[in-house]
Amino acid sequence: MTFRINRRGVLAGGAAALSASALGLPGTAFGQETRLRLMWWGSQPRAERTFEVSNLFMEETPGVTIDGETVGWDDYWPRLATQVAGRNAPDIIQMDYRYIFEYARRGALAQLESYVPDTLNVSDFDQAALDGGSVDGSLYGISLGANSSAMMINMAAFEEAGIEIPDNSLTFDEMKRIGEEITKAGKRQNFYGLSDGSRVEPFFENFLRQRGKALYTEDGQLAFDAEDTREWFQLWADMRESKACVPPDMQALDKNQIETGMVSLGHAAVSYAHSNQLVGYQTINKDPIVMHAYPRVAPDAGGGHYRKPSMFFSVSAQCENPEAAAAYISFFVTDPAAAEILDVERGVPESSAVRESLAPKLDETGRAAVEFIGGLGDLAGPLPPPPPLGAGEIDKMLIRVSEEVAFGQHTPQSGAEAFVAEAESILSRG
Amino acid sequence: MTTIASPASPYVPTRGRLARVLARNGAGYLFLLPWFIGFLGLTAGPALASLYLSFTDFDLLTSPRWIGAANYVRIATADPRFIASMQVTFVYVLLSVPLKLAFALLVAMALNRGMKGLPWYRAIFYLPSLLGTSVAIAVLWRQLFAGNGLVNSFLANFGIEGPSWISNPNYSLYTLVVLSVWQFGSPMIIFLAGLRQIPQDMYEAASLDGASKWRQFWKITLPLLTPVVFFNAVVQTIEAFKAFTPAFIISGGTGGPINSTLFYTLYLYQEAFGFFRMGYASALAWILLVIVALFTAFSFLTARYWVHYDD
Repeated sequence: MTFRINRRGVLAGGAAALSASALGLPGTAFGQETRLRLMWWGSQPRAERTFEVSNLFMEETPGVTIDGETVGWDDYWPRLATQVAGRNAPDIIQMDYRYIFEYARRGALAQLESYVPDTLNVSDFDQAALDGGSVDGSLYGISLGANSSAMMINMAAFEEAGIEIPDNSLTFDEMKRIGEEITKAGKRQNFYGLSDGSRVEPFFENFLRQRGKALYTEDGQLAFDAEDTREWFQLWADMRESKACVPPDMQALDKNQIETGMVSLGHAAVSYAHSNQLVGYQTINKDPIVMHAYPRVAPDAGGGHYRKPSMFFSVSAQCENPEAAAAYISFFVTDPAAAEILDVERGVPESSAVRESLAPKLDETGRAAVEFIGGLGDLAGPLPPPPPLGAGEIDKMLIRVSEEVAFGQHTPQSGAEAFVAEAESILSRG
Repeated sequence: MTTIASPASPYVPTRGRLARVLARNGAGYLFLLPWFIGFLGLTAGPALASLYLSFTDFDLLTSPRWIGAANYVRIATADPRFIASMQVTFVYVLLSVPLKLAFALLVAMALNRGMKGLPWYRAIFYLPSLLGTSVAIAVLWRQLFAGNGLVNSFLANFGIEGPSWISNPNYSLYTLVVLSVWQFGSPMIIFLAGLRQIPQDMYEAASLDGASKWRQFWKITLPLLTPVVFFNAVVQTIEAFKAFTPAFIISGGTGGPINSTLFYTLYLYQEAFGFFRMGYASALAWILLVIVALFTAFSFLTARYWVHYDD
């Protein structure tokens, strides 16, 4: 599904010149009409916010028109790749940590450091945020916010079952018990305590990191073995066995979108997502949603989470007016009015000035998202190296193999062996 | 030297063969031109390009790199998902085509009994085929066959607790077969036309000789209908091999759960647009072309043993 908008902010020339100079833009750069195409993935709440900010930008920057397109995550990457290959790339591209290396190294993205700081104001960004968007020493992506993987909890379902939201000391054993109790309470139809997490790659990664492992090494090899994977599959096999989590034919309805998660479908009290998606979850769900860190593998284990750039804006190397694109991105990440519209739906803003100006205006959901990132404590560890080529395929493969285990076509042992063997073959193929 | 104009085109002086042909059939070729340009530009050109790409390693972002037959070798020797998708596709083709044709024939025969309002019924029965491959119908199917969908609500009235049909690997493919059978409209229309061609006096003669309806069907209707059956079978088989949208929408593009709806075309799509292996996907596409061609050739070769033409 594509939404297209094509509205032009019309303002008197004088006011326009004023606001352009207020933005610190060289007024002459936008002398003639510039059209910029912007493409991003995400849900409906994100689309509304993005269009609103684009309209605001167009009002303040006459002569520049932003055409927005949006699709879901799964459709986004095929579409972007075909457009780049067809020399028809959008000018401003929402980019992910998983793909930024691939696109930058193949020359599909424009280097942005020459626009800093005059057009692109990132002076008060954390260095880590800038590093996350850099490839081989050049800046290719401006982080739109920080997030972390997280659990989404339907608070009403917990209350109905008489269970309190646990604190950050939660372990897998306790989580299993909570899941069982919610299922047993039977307050809702076709309702279970937990979603099946065995297919969720960030959850698996968190589990591995707590065990001192990781998904991938610096040089793009697997940083875990079949035994780690077996324990992971076994853990979830036990959850299914005791009905702490949903049965496999229910979990298979999940298409990796907020809308099809077990919490949104009303099948479970706990889903697995990213912290910035709390805003989307809360928009779609009537019940109050709270966020929680992943459980610990042992009471003293930690370091599974990490704070990462949730997504970037990059500029296409094919863009004819990269300066205007950089100005738009700068407006997007630093303008106070834009920040208020965007909220923390794309993660916690990276600019400290924006964070400060936004803090008093956040609603409860927004505050919760900010506090979650700030309150991870010993649960958070360092940013892992960027995933290698083929990581996206391995992510999809985990879903399939975890289903094979869940439906009984594999034991946790044979499933783990198959998963590791196939992952290695994908990595060697590139 | 005297020139004798050919009787077919008495007014054209002889300049060259080509000129003569053009002058005689020029208007025809002119009318053919739009199709011909479309065929060259949109069908033949890309098809040949994909043949070239099938011998390369091509990831869309960088230029294709020639790797010889490596893609084909890998497909033949080291690709479990190729085998899985082949199995799914063959089960789908072998189940959906005969079921769909049988159902279409059944409905066509029911409609052929000279009932009132026939055009209306024909239109209504044809409707699903018009909507058939659309996204909307696939979404509808997902709603019907989900765990808490309409089908299970209906079954619940009889105390049956149905599974989540579309998200259970044991059933998901069969819901797609049912979806395909439901789109029986176009073979039905063709069957209906075929049934009308059968002379009524044959049935009258058979009735006088005391042949039962059942016997009339096997001895008159079916044999005389075989040309139409043959046509429908070939067309529907090709369609079934090419099926993509229902599986794509219902499985969310994954072919899941567990490869159970991994149609060959869906696997090809994943390799091409999910994992950016355009060269490999092109090789897969050419293998599909060869398989469909073989199936069609087989149908035509065996046709003379079972297809009866009047003349």
